[in-house]
Amino acid sequence: MVPEHSGALPRVVITGIGPVTPIGTGVAAFGASLREGRSGVAPIRSFDASDLKVRIAAEVNDFAPERYMSAKAAKRMARFSQFAVAASHLALADAGLDQAGLDPDRAGVVVNTGGGGVNTVLEEQELAARRGVGRASAFFVPTMAPNMAACQVSIELGLRGPVIASVAACASSVTAFIDGAHLIQRGEAELVLAGGAEASISPLGVSALANMHALSRRNDEPARASRPFDKDRDGFVIGEGAAVCVLETLAAARARDARIYAEVLGGGRCADAYHISAPDPEGEGAARAMARALQAAQLPPTAVDYVCAHGTGTVLNDAAETKAIKQVFGEYAYRLAVSSPKSLTGHLMGAAGAVSVTATALALERQFLPPTINLDTPDPDCDLDYVARRSRAAGVRAALANGFGFGGQNAVVALARVDG
Amino acid sequence: MSGTSDQLIAIVAEQLRISSERVTLESSLIDDLGADSLDVVDLSIAIEEEFSSDEHPIEITEEIAAEMRTVEDILTYLEDQGVV
Repeated sequence: MVPEHSGALPRVVITGIGPVTPIGTGVAAFGASLREGRSGVAPIRSFDASDLKVRIAAEVNDFAPERYMSAKAAKRMARFSQFAVAASHLALADAGLDQAGLDPDRAGVVVNTGGGGVNTVLEEQELAARRGVGRASAFFVPTMAPNMAACQVSIELGLRGPVIASVAACASSVTAFIDGAHLIQRGEAELVLAGGAEASISPLGVSALANMHALSRRNDEPARASRPFDKDRDGFVIGEGAAVCVLETLAAARARDARIYAEVLGGGRCADAYHISAPDPEGEGAARAMARALQAAQLPPTAVDYVCAHGTGTVLNDAAETKAIKQVFGEYAYRLAVSSPKSLTGHLMGAAGAVSVTATALALERQFLPPTINLDTPDPDCDLDYVARRSRAAGVRAALANGFGFGGQNAVVALARVDG
Repeated sequence: MSGTSDQLIAIVAEQLRISSERVTLESSLIDDLGADSLDVVDLSIAIEEEFSSDEHPIEITEEIAAEMRTVEDILTYLEDQGVV
């Protein structure tokens, strides 16, 4: 491949973050919950779950789309797209940018998802069963399609550069940061909104995941249900929301004196080629993705202070991910910190990676380690420093954010603090 | 204004997510109220759902919908169909 640039690739940094999550919307609320270890898990409110095996989730309560878009625009969007548009507005504002200050043709969007508008499919199918397919909504297809979160961000914010929407289950939005950085480094865009969006909590989805034994059944103690790396973990907690970050070149950020959260150094992607839902129990694929991210970032393992784990809280993931970290870092694995924001936010699936990148960006900027709450009884197979129960101040130079998806897709992005 | 026209105006406003005060019988769906062709389809469905009964189904075919320019056009059609 012929490089488009002579010399070094431009450095890409995160200058704005927009979380719309079960533990807070906007940097201030999200950052405070992350530091204080506040759980976003509660009994399901969006539908009657009383007959289900799993009756808890991490929902975004009191989300008001009209705060971010017209009522007419909101009507044409599934909830995952509404989350993405809200997160994008928040991220741009946090970066100190507005639409007027952007070159729209040079601004791109990479907003990925896991389930896209699957809930719209379920709702419209139910309507059709009642009133006949002859009365199918004309909005059905352009509402439910998985690319619509990215496209609605483009439409609502008037961004006319490249728009990418790809799916990689729970690795989807780690992938978004790798592709977003590539767009800028290849000169396809100057600025990219990168992230993920997910809103697929439904009776069918919850029940199907429950039957896979993927979900925690700790219905009576919702805030204690998501317990990655704990001996008594029994699955993840389904979550919803979005997170979007502003990516731009370091030069552009410095030129406008922007606050820089972190640099996106590089990413690694690969596949397990093993199973449709279970991770390779030896964590071989996860390890290769982390090693490739380090290689792409030209980062020695000992420069990494923090791994933002995929850390779902399933028995299989947490053991395999721990093995993978040891495989990559050797003895040094015991000296770095690992934690899982999913202990707080639940598992936002297609948006989970973007939440992890957002949390990691904050850790790098604010020099602290987000906690793994509910880690009360260490699992003998999980014997690293998981920042159990409470966040703590720490020097964080560089970090990895992991995302591993059903189907065996692995994605890891390497981030670093930018000094000066 | 008749009950039917009030009801119709309420449906138009709800479907287009605008205030019912903006909607008059003379309003053009597309030029005045900002509807696009997708809105018109879903509006037709909503009207069918609202004004149909088991004994008296209302059908707005694509051909009829294409002729409906103003709110009054819809009202006239409904009245022709015996909705009062």
